[in-house]
Amino acid sequence: MRCKEATYQLQLYIDRQLTLRQTRVLEAHLASCPSCQAELHFLEKVACGLNSLKFVSEPANLHEQIMQKVVLSTSRKNLAERQPVPFKLFRPSLAELLVAALLATLATLAILLQQPSIHALLPRGNGHDLLSLFYIQVVHMLTSIDVNTLILALWIVGTFLGVCITLAVAGSEMRTQWFKAMLERLPVR
Amino acid sequence: MREQLWPSSQSLGLSIPGAGALPVEQDESRLVVASKNGDQDAFSLLVQRYQRRVFNLVFRMLQNYDEACEITQETFLAAWQGLPGFRGEARFTTWLYRIAYNCSLKQLAARKRDQALQAALQSEQALEDEDHRSTDLTRLDNQELVQEQLSQLPPKYRVVLILRHLQDMTYEEMAEVLTMPIGTIKTHLFRARNLLKERLQAFEYGRKQKETRG
Repeated sequence: MRCKEATYQLQLYIDRQLTLRQTRVLEAHLASCPSCQAELHFLEKVACGLNSLKFVSEPANLHEQIMQKVVLSTSRKNLAERQPVPFKLFRPSLAELLVAALLATLATLAILLQQPSIHALLPRGNGHDLLSLFYIQVVHMLTSIDVNTLILALWIVGTFLGVCITLAVAGSEMRTQWFKAMLERLPVR
Repeated sequence: MREQLWPSSQSLGLSIPGAGALPVEQDESRLVVASKNGDQDAFSLLVQRYQRRVFNLVFRMLQNYDEACEITQETFLAAWQGLPGFRGEARFTTWLYRIAYNCSLKQLAARKRDQALQAALQSEQALEDEDHRSTDLTRLDNQELVQEQLSQLPPKYRVVLILRHLQDMTYEEMAEVLTMPIGTIKTHLFRARNLLKERLQAFEYGRKQKETRG
């Protein structure tokens, strides 16, 4: 065994990482090599110095300080989670989007039907079927009321449709919040 | 101020045949699972169990008691916040030591930046300290000298010596904590001990010279 190899193995020897065979070969070399013996002597001194390192006591209130920080961080996290994130609640489902689209289509159709050219295209019944009777009834009602009442009725229906579309698009969480806010504002509960 | 602790293998929850290590491991994993689910009492028990080992690793790395206290708190807070992401691939202690080591390195880097800013102010002080150090060294015995020189080593060499000699870790455990191959751990240990050995040899040579002159 050469001294260079022995020098490297001395560290493993100190850490008891050598096999029995390697240990025997190294010890045989050490017995005949004063230089490697001196090397081992110093390394043992170093290892002894390091092994004499002792644990230092931590401050008495360290545990308390750590747990205070943990509690504080948890409460901050909970608080951050409770605060609404902008647009986080704006998540309409597919069904809600379909309802909103249907309502918007109905509202648009009602406006389009006011156009005389489209109005003329509507199928005419014979005057005795249910659809025609309903249609005649509605037209009769609309012509019999005054303009202000008609505009007010249309405004109410339009607003109601608008609110319905907005609520349908807003998603369930936003709807719940809206209903709660509305109930809170009601004079009688 | 100083005191000897339990045998390290017991505190680390390492397997010791017939020493009842298994319940300790089971207990640890139960506490870790509970802590992951937000149980602060369980985490408090883990803190109680490992705070001294973590504190000592950090203290030996930083060589400053107050800073070590602060960084130990930071380590456990980071562990608490990171627990939901802890997949249990490594042991909890290994993971905890890794956090402690990284926090210490971060602190050393921050300290280095601060020192660079105050370099001009400290240059005079450093000269004075060196004078004190040289006079103090002559009064130290070999053990104290080794411990004194440990604090002068680069962090990567210091940590392997602390983990090996203070925390009694195996090469495999050290490799896991420091996320390095075992070969690198051996090389770092070899170089670190060689540096200490050279300083010890130089010191002994100087002492002998002084004796022959005297």
